[in-house]
This record gives sequence, C-alpha cells and structure tokens, in this order.
Amino acid sequence: MRIVVLLKAVPVVGTEKMTGGWLLDRSAGLESNGNDEYVLEAGLKLVEAHGGELVTLTMGPSPATEAIRKALAMGAARAVQVVDEALAGSDALATGRVLAAALQRMEFDLALAGADTSDGQGGVVGAAVATRLGLPYLSYAAAIEPDPAAGTVRVRRISPTGYDVLEARMPALVAGTQLLGEPRYPSLRGIMQARSKQIATWSLADLGIDPASVGTPATWSAVLTATPPAQRAGATIVRDAPEAAVERIVEFLAARRLI
Amino acid sequence: MAGAIWAVCDMVDGLPTRHGRELATLTWALGRAASRPTASVLVGPGASAAADAIASHGPDVLAVDADPGERPIAAVTAERVAALIRERQPAYVLLGTSDDGRDTAGILQALLEWGALVNVSAVRWGDDGPVAEVSVFGGRLVTESRLTQDHGLIIVRPSAVAAEAAERPGGVERIDPAPGADLAPVRVVDRVGEASAAVSIEEATVIVAGGRGVGGPEGFGVVRDLADALGGAVGATRAVVDSGWIGYAHQIGQTGKSVKPQLYVAAGISGAIQHKVGMQTSGTIVAINKDPDAPIAEFADMMVVGDLFEILPRLTAAVRARRA
Amino acid sequence: MSGRLTQEQIDLRDAVGQLAREQIAPRAAEIDQSGVFPRDVVELFARQDVFALIYPAEYGGLGGTLLTNCLMIEEVSRVCATSGLILAVQALGSLPLLLAGSDEQKQRWFPGLSSGSLLNAFALTEAGAGSDSAGIRTRAVRDGDGWRITGTKRFISQGSEADLVAVVAVTDPEAGRHRDLSIFYVERGTPGFEVARLEHKMGIRGSPTAELVFDDVRVPDANRVGEVGEGFRIAMRTLNRSRPGVAAQAVGIAQGATDVAVAYARERVQFGKPIGEQQMVQAMLADMATRTEAARQLLYEACERIEDGAADAARWAAMCKLFAGDTAMAVTTDAVQVLGGYGYITEYPVERMMRDAKITQLYEGTQQIQRLVIARALLSAQ
Repeated sequence: MRIVVLLKAVPVVGTEKMTGGWLLDRSAGLESNGNDEYVLEAGLKLVEAHGGELVTLTMGPSPATEAIRKALAMGAARAVQVVDEALAGSDALATGRVLAAALQRMEFDLALAGADTSDGQGGVVGAAVATRLGLPYLSYAAAIEPDPAAGTVRVRRISPTGYDVLEARMPALVAGTQLLGEPRYPSLRGIMQARSKQIATWSLADLGIDPASVGTPATWSAVLTATPPAQRAGATIVRDAPEAAVERIVEFLAARRLI
Repeated sequence: MAGAIWAVCDMVDGLPTRHGRELATLTWALGRAASRPTASVLVGPGASAAADAIASHGPDVLAVDADPGERPIAAVTAERVAALIRERQPAYVLLGTSDDGRDTAGILQALLEWGALVNVSAVRWGDDGPVAEVSVFGGRLVTESRLTQDHGLIIVRPSAVAAEAAERPGGVERIDPAPGADLAPVRVVDRVGEASAAVSIEEATVIVAGGRGVGGPEGFGVVRDLADALGGAVGATRAVVDSGWIGYAHQIGQTGKSVKPQLYVAAGISGAIQHKVGMQTSGTIVAINKDPDAPIAEFADMMVVGDLFEILPRLTAAVRARRA
Repeated sequence: MSGRLTQEQIDLRDAVGQLAREQIAPRAAEIDQSGVFPRDVVELFARQDVFALIYPAEYGGLGGTLLTNCLMIEEVSRVCATSGLILAVQALGSLPLLLAGSDEQKQRWFPGLSSGSLLNAFALTEAGAGSDSAGIRTRAVRDGDGWRITGTKRFISQGSEADLVAVVAVTDPEAGRHRDLSIFYVERGTPGFEVARLEHKMGIRGSPTAELVFDDVRVPDANRVGEVGEGFRIAMRTLNRSRPGVAAQAVGIAQGATDVAVAYARERVQFGKPIGEQQMVQAMLADMATRTEAARQLLYEACERIEDGAADAARWAAMCKLFAGDTAMAVTTDAVQVLGGYGYITEYPVERMMRDAKITQLYEGTQQIQRLVIARALLSAQ
C-alpha cells in the first residue's frame, strides 16, 4: 500500500491572529489539522496491516515543519512540503491546483485528506484535487477498507440518515472524519527516528505552476472588514433552587417566544 | 442582462432540506436586491415532484430528475450543474455546507476553475456583487468578504436566513442536461439507515446538547426528554462522543457539525473553544452547569447554576404542561 | 527555552508532557484516592517507549541520558507524582545492571525492562537499616553454584509489583566496612520470596511500598551483579544517578502546584478582582516560580555533571535532591495557601501534591543525609 496523506498545518484553534494584509498569521504555533490527524492515523493502520509506506504532503510555510515532524514521529516514512513565498494567501481553488500538481508527481494507491480544515473551513479541496487528477473521490469516511488484491477500496461514508458504503478502484482519494479513530501519540522512539527522516521541499517552479496563479494576487475572496462579533448582553445568572430556577427558565424562554 | 444567481438545493428522500429552502429564500432576496434573475437547482430522483415546494420560495426551479443509480448524489449533481452553468452562465451559485453541498462545490471548483467564498453565515448584496459574512478565528472575528471576480461559488451554512414563501412562486423547468464531466466512477454498494441519525442537528430549530456533565450514556435520557418536549434534536460535545455515550451524528463543534438553532440548551457543557465554534451563533443559549465559572457562562444568554438532573426533568415537565 | 536542552530533548519532553496532561492527569486524583497501582500508566509508558529511554540501543533501548530521563520524570510528576515514581523506580532498579551488569545479564533483562514487560525494584532499606547501610541484616550465603538469601527488606517502592528485585545483602560479615555487601537480582515467583505487607502512606499512594521477605531464597550466581563485596560501591553509584530522579519528581510536583496556583489566582475573584491582582498573592506566586526554576536548573546541572563522570557526583546528586525536595515541600504548601480552603480539599490537586512532596524529603536518603553527603564532600576536598 502506498499512501499519501494531505496534511495541513493550522494555527491552534482559539489562538489565531491576523497579519496586516488580512491573512492568517502562520509564522508560528502551527499544529496538524484535526481531521488530517484522523486520516493520518487511518493511513498508518493501513500500512501496518498491508505493508508499504505512508508519505505526507503539505502545502505550507516553514513553520509547518513542526506538524510534519510530528507526523513523521507517528510513523510516516517521509514527507513532501510545498514551500513558496508566492503561496501565501492562497484560496481553496489555488490550494487544490497546487496539491493536485504535487500529487501528480507522487506514486500512491490511496491519497487521504481530512474532510475539512479548522482554518479554511471550506471542505472543498479534497473533491477538487480528486476531480483534477481524475481520481475516484470517496468522502466523509468513517472507515477505509482497501482490497489490494482486487485493487479497490471501500469506504463507509456518513450520510444524513446513516451511512453509505462506497467502492472504487485505486488509486483513489478519500476524505476522512473523526470517526476513523483517535490519532496515536508519537512514541519516544518515533520522535527520535523522525529527526533523521527526509522532508523534501518542492517549490512552485518544481511543480511548473505560475506564481501569479496562486496566493493573494489570485485569490477569489477579498476581505472588506473584520470586526468582533456582536456581543451577547451577558448571561442572566440563575442560582435558585431547581423549582424556582425552572420557573425562571420558562419565563425567559416564553419572553423570547421560544416556547 | 447581468448574470443570474442560483441556489443548488439538497434533497433528502426526495424532499428539499430546510437548508436547501433557506438557500432558495436567500437567492431570491439577493436577486431582488441585485435585480438579477434567480433559480433554484434540484438534482436527483423526485426533483420534479419537489419542484413546487422549492418554487414557493421565489426563484424559478431547474428540476433535473437524474437517477443517481449506484453513484453518489454529489457527483451526479456536480456533473449536471457544471453542464447547466456552462450553458446558461449564471454569475453566482450558492451551495450548502452539507456534506453533499461541499463535495459538489469542490468538484465544481475543479471543473469550472471557479473560486469560492466558503463557510458563509450570511450574504447581502453589496455595491456590485455579493458580500459574505464569515465567522473566523474560533468566532473571535467576523469578516465580510467579496468575490474578486464577477462570478463564483458561495458556500452557505444553515440558518443564514429563515426559509419563507415569496409573494409569488417561481416557474418550474424540467430539464435533463447531459453530464458536463466524466468523473472517475464511485459505486454506492449499500445505503444503511441508522436510527441514531434520524434527527439532523443541522435541520433542527431547537437543540438540547449534553456534555461530560451528563455522566454517561444513560444520562442522555433527560437530555432527550427535553429535546422531545421542545420538538428539537439532541446535540453533544466531542468528549462524550469520544467516550461512546452518543453517536458522532450528534457532535457539535470543531470536528463535528456547526449549528445555529433558535434555541440551544447546553446541559453539563463547559464550553471549550472546540465546542463553542460549532454553536456560538445560536439564537438563544441557555446553559445548565454546576460550575458557575464554566467558560460557557461567557457566551450564554442564561446561565443556570445547578444539577442538570434536577433541572432538566422539571423543565421538561413544565414545557409539556405549557404545551398541553 | 533552556539553551541547555537539545531540540530532541525538548521534543521528547513535550511529547511526554502531552501524554501526562491528556492521559495521566485525569487519572491522578483517582490513583491517589484508590491507592491502586496504575497498571494503565505502566502500559502507556510501555507503548510510548518511555521506559526504553534509559537502556542502551543494543538492548532495545533508546540510549537516553540521565538528564533526558529526568525530564520525563519531571513532566509526569507535574500531574501525578505516583506515575512519575514509576519511571524513577524502573531506573533505580536497573541502575546496578546498567553500572555493573554483565553483557549476559543485560541481554537477559534489558529487553523486558525496556519494553515495560518487566518492572523492577531496588531493595536496600531494612527496618534497622535506613540511612545507615551498616545495619543491613539480610544475608546471602554461598550454596554450590548459587546463593541462599534470607532477610527482610522494608519500604521498597513497587516491591509488590516488581518482576525483578535488586537485593542488597551481606555476603561476608567479616569483610571490612563497605566490603561486606553484594547485589543479587531476585525474580518474582522464586520460592521463599514473598511480599509480607504494604504500607499505608501519606502520599504517593498509588505506588505500593512493600515489605519483602526472603526466606532461604535460592538464586543462581548468574543473578549476582558486580563482584562479591562490591555491593556498597554499586549501591552508592546507583544513588548518585537515582537521587536526581527524585529531584526531578520534586521539581515536577513543584511546577504542577505552581501551575494550579497561577491558574487559580487568575480566576478566583475576591473583593471584586482576581486574587492574582493582590500583591501578597503575587509575591507567593513569584517565589514559587523562582524556587522551582532554581531547583530545575540545579537538577539539570547536576545531571550533566554526573553524566560527565564528575568525581564529586555524590555531592551534585545530594545537592539537587536536597534543594528540589525542600522546594517541592515549600511550593506545594504555598500552593495550598494560595487556594485557601479550596487548597485543603480534594476538589483541587494541591493537597495531594503537598502530601506527595513530603516523600521527596525522605526517600533515597533523608534531607539530613543529603546534607551530610554534601558537607563531607566539602570538608574532604583539598
């Protein structure tokens, strides 16, 4: 099994800052995107079960290296990082283009991506990458079961009413969710070994991508204003005994026409 | 005439979702503000039959009775919508943030090379194009953004507007466009229904959610009872989903669903940032927690300090008594 | 961060810190209240290779330094001193093997100790021989190609959980002072070796402290570590490398208590403002943090000196343990004070930390013994 995991380094939720140019500050304090860690874990388990190797693919600035090192410590064999100053401010469209170009240069049976990222919140990049590469796209995976002998993969996709079982030929791209299972902690041995694993860096030139087609100049979205959200008035605190408290809740909800 | 504004509306079991009807209403409002034509696109089995329901929200309906057969509906939708967009050249296409909506949008991005405004919580018509409101940085900032081109996708969260009937319904056009792409095949081998996923938290106008404070799977009994009494859905934090007390379909927050009900009752939920990002835009938030210093006190409208097992059953009874 | 630590040490420390916060901290109060040895924590350390750190790579270990291992003990003790002690005891019991074991003995036991499938303990103390090893009564008598051991060891940390116990016994009562002792490894299940009882303790309550009885226990000569009569020397060298482990536990406890006190001072509002804005509270927090950092830096310095083979290793080991133990006691006492009434009840962890801190002033030589060691080193130096 050759697996590539699309791994994004994101600011820790709740600590995000903005740079002067309305961009998310990615200069420090980045960690692996939550959903990406779930697919990484699923990928590591697949490699343990079927053999092969897992490689991570990240588009992100140099501070992303810490998140990549953690993935290596968890068990990824090596990593590819697409780094280029021109990438700053890329939107989902450009990200899809760059990741597709990078994946095209890699050999894999399965490409795994998180269902969405905590910073971009779009949840569209996986589908776009698969479409660009002509790969079968299986999304919102709660379980990933490849059949290497048959060259196929089955995915349990969460649906509004339960789940669907999807099947496609490999290579395929699977976007996964938290239901794949908790990511492992890197072991100390893994951490020590990770320091000697290779992180290959690719530039836009390496990928044959015009820098003008990505980053801030090419973005489809322009921020006009950024303001703190309207504050709630502050909570009415109720410390009464249960009966009295319930009376007050009912009055409160009735006044707001909620019951 | 300037390009049209379209909504691509999800259906579940042959019926448009509340989210889909909201998108139709939103599109109608934008079309009126911009003096542009509008349309709602329905793709899937039963689209024609559902067309009148979605037409009531104002925009004309493009109903595509495509049978997905063994294919995922998002792929089938994206292929048809791509063909329609190429043929009729609308300027702006709204999609929902549902799983199918985002999958459709991602495929369209690649097929059309269209950019998108994503995770949008509200849209208004600006000087010469749509302006989208997005909650970012875990809810600490709200941005307003516009598209840099005269066309693009806008991916909208539930409850951006309330679905409502227009003064006159739109017309209905049944069409069968040839697929505008040849996507790699994916086969749906099986569709499995699970009782636990029956009530969609994204569709609910009232959510009663439980956190660690409910103590265990059986603790969700009082949460469910209140949700039933209020006609709402049951939500949960990641911690309790991880503990196996309730299914992932109920999870609200960073790696679960984002919701915006009119009423959110948080029982035994501390209000950690990972949960907050999924529910802080709810209309009214009532928190019930033993700990008066729980972070949720900072963004609730009412903070009831007490034991949820004493308060929820009484509240359920009071709500039922009022309804009776 | 400290320029003293390598990036690798920082990465390892942070990884174990995360494990401690997410996996061990939620268990700490329960471990203390139940007094049950946390096997789940042992499994966690085993799975994450934390035990492996101190063993040489050729025996399945990671070849980590004394300082690196102390970083692990510190991070874990920050949330649970009992769990930190598991690492310290595993190192303590392995030290005679690391220092004086034969290749064959290392091949035999290190893979199991490294993977955590074997736990060990170090049995030096007896009822009448605490600080004074001259009081040791446990005897080992030659019996053909082996030895027969008879005696009772007391206050043996994890003695009831260990698969392998390093026993210090008198092999030649006639030999001169410090030449009469030898060290034997006794495996669990050996006939005559029994756990007589467990102590009821004030702190580190999840770590069983056992009385071990050896009744004519026969062990092969292959279980003897070092030369006959070399036991005292090995035991002293063992303590030189294990006392920093106790110091690391103490620094961790002090840091953990400081963490709780600072968080509490930020949130607790009295007289209309957080108590952290009261100067008297600020002064306490400042002193707690400063003392803890001083203890930490002395510990790190000691680790490096000892690792480098300093002639005065005993003095460095004693100094860091003395200072860190006293710091832990003072800082946890202050933490309880900062939390007021809440500090005294089990709803907050500082009362547990205060009880746990006390042991660091007692075991592996009381603070009085540490001062004795330090003073002797000072006075004998030319």
